[in-house]
Amino acid sequence: MKKAFLAVLGLHLFFAAVYAGEVPSRIVSLAPNLTEILFAMGLGDRVVGVTSFCDYPEEAKRRQKVGGMSNPSIEAVVSLKPDLVVVTTDGNPMEFEGRLRSLKIKTYVFRSRRLQELPQGVRGMGAALGVKERGDALAEMMEHTIRRLGIKNPPERKRRLLFIVWPEPLIVAGTGTVIDDAITLLGGENIAAGAKGTYPKYSVEEILHNSPDVILIGKGQGHEDMEKVSKRLLDRLKNVSAVRNGKVFFVSDLLYRLGPRTCRGIEEMAGYIGK
Amino acid sequence: MKLRLSIFCVLLVLAFGSSLLLGSRVINPFTTNETGREILFSIRAPRSVVATLMGTALGASGAVLQGILRNPLADPYILGISSGASLSAAVGIIMGLTMFGSFTIPLLAFIGAVITGGIVGMMGWKRGGLWPERLLLAGIGLSFLFSSLLMLIMSVSTDEGVRRAILWIFGDLSMSDWSLIPYGLVFITSGLFISIARAKALNALILGDEFAYSLGFMPHLERFILFISVGLMTSASVSLGGMIGFIGLLVPHIVRFFIGADNRMLIPASAICGGTLLCIADLLSRSVAPPTELPAGIVTALIGSPYFLYLLRKKDVLGV
Repeated sequence: MKKAFLAVLGLHLFFAAVYAGEVPSRIVSLAPNLTEILFAMGLGDRVVGVTSFCDYPEEAKRRQKVGGMSNPSIEAVVSLKPDLVVVTTDGNPMEFEGRLRSLKIKTYVFRSRRLQELPQGVRGMGAALGVKERGDALAEMMEHTIRRLGIKNPPERKRRLLFIVWPEPLIVAGTGTVIDDAITLLGGENIAAGAKGTYPKYSVEEILHNSPDVILIGKGQGHEDMEKVSKRLLDRLKNVSAVRNGKVFFVSDLLYRLGPRTCRGIEEMAGYIGK
Repeated sequence: MKLRLSIFCVLLVLAFGSSLLLGSRVINPFTTNETGREILFSIRAPRSVVATLMGTALGASGAVLQGILRNPLADPYILGISSGASLSAAVGIIMGLTMFGSFTIPLLAFIGAVITGGIVGMMGWKRGGLWPERLLLAGIGLSFLFSSLLMLIMSVSTDEGVRRAILWIFGDLSMSDWSLIPYGLVFITSGLFISIARAKALNALILGDEFAYSLGFMPHLERFILFISVGLMTSASVSLGGMIGFIGLLVPHIVRFFIGADNRMLIPASAICGGTLLCIADLLSRSVAPPTELPAGIVTALIGSPYFLYLLRKKDVLGV
């Protein structure tokens, strides 16, 4: 029994050592946030393939594209001869990951979806990719920012927020999103928290009823003029306290991606909530 | 017959009224506060008006089309008008076009619908007239073409853009406001007037072109006029709030069970019932899982289809 245990332990340590010691030299990333984490951990020059949505950092745009997040091309991935493909449970089909493994391609599955899980996810990814120190350092930086921004003593009356992802049809950030986590972290209250779904199609009537103190509108991928698109919605919300008091802000897309820039997104949001 | 039509009218008024006052929160118009009044006048009222208009347009054009195409399976979407509208609206949504502010997408949809209607009309035109079979086949062909183009665009764009486009296509009444209603009203009422005015001719057309001719109608001319009226109503309805299934196809059949196949009654009754059904569907779509809203098009089909199947089982035939 003892022998068997030792053998298993030995085997485990051996594999762990081999795996952790070896930094993969050809990595394919199947999600924009994973691409950002890879670049932030200094593995950018080893990334050989990315999705068509990976646009940050600038250099990532010059990597070979393997398709979208929900429909990457298996041929494109295989032809890049990767020794590791990083996938996320948040947006990549898991059958695709199984398919890769059946083709004897190593995968790393990133499972963090929420803000609190981010540092741990980065740590795990750093360790698995053989850059433990860099992963730890990045994770610590994130933990530090999250601790620093987190509200220690929640105020008596919480600021009531609404984060609008798209005005027509009205889609907002609900529970289970990084945006909702950030609002909670900053001591605010997401008025859409009760709605079903992570990005629910929300009712305009509810906004009028709940009259949020601050409305944040995500600027999205950048090719839309959000102020123009939101004009009609904001006209209809003219009696909501956020609109009346000029507390409608257009914010960057930093919080849409769970990665190294998420913390900057929280900082940006903290600035608007404080205003 | 007049009595039944009046009953339908009463039902429409009831549906309209309840869609104004009921919902995730009930509004009492006599004791309401500032917010309640605002919700009533600037959110629910335009929304219910749009639902009524769209339902009216779809119900009436369904009845007319089943007549001119002599086909019980015809509906306003079979002519490809809606796929043309969806395609151009989806392109606008996915590309984030905002040239005309919030008018952009409805305008794009309308242009797409009118162009498609024009192409179908041209394809259906042969030897100095519109032919039902040609219209039908041209519509189906164009529908396929546009749907595949739509899928093509969707498969190469971001998930978020696709979701927005899908929500729009499935019918979104939530952003209805007063600004689009006058345009919708003009197109839809004129379409409705034309089709009711030519209802007698439609009755004759259903019996066959020679028969219609012998009764003193010009079949090709009548078909052309009715086709224009359907085009007006469908285009306006799609650009007001996307595609709402079921109403155009099945409401005329349901109405036929009650008042028979005379188009002079059938067209107005289908219009009224379509409006009623869409009002109720919209009310349900925002009351079932508040504050999340469901697409109204899904709700119409969910409540309408079982009732239709029940009638089919219970009553006799599906005559056009």
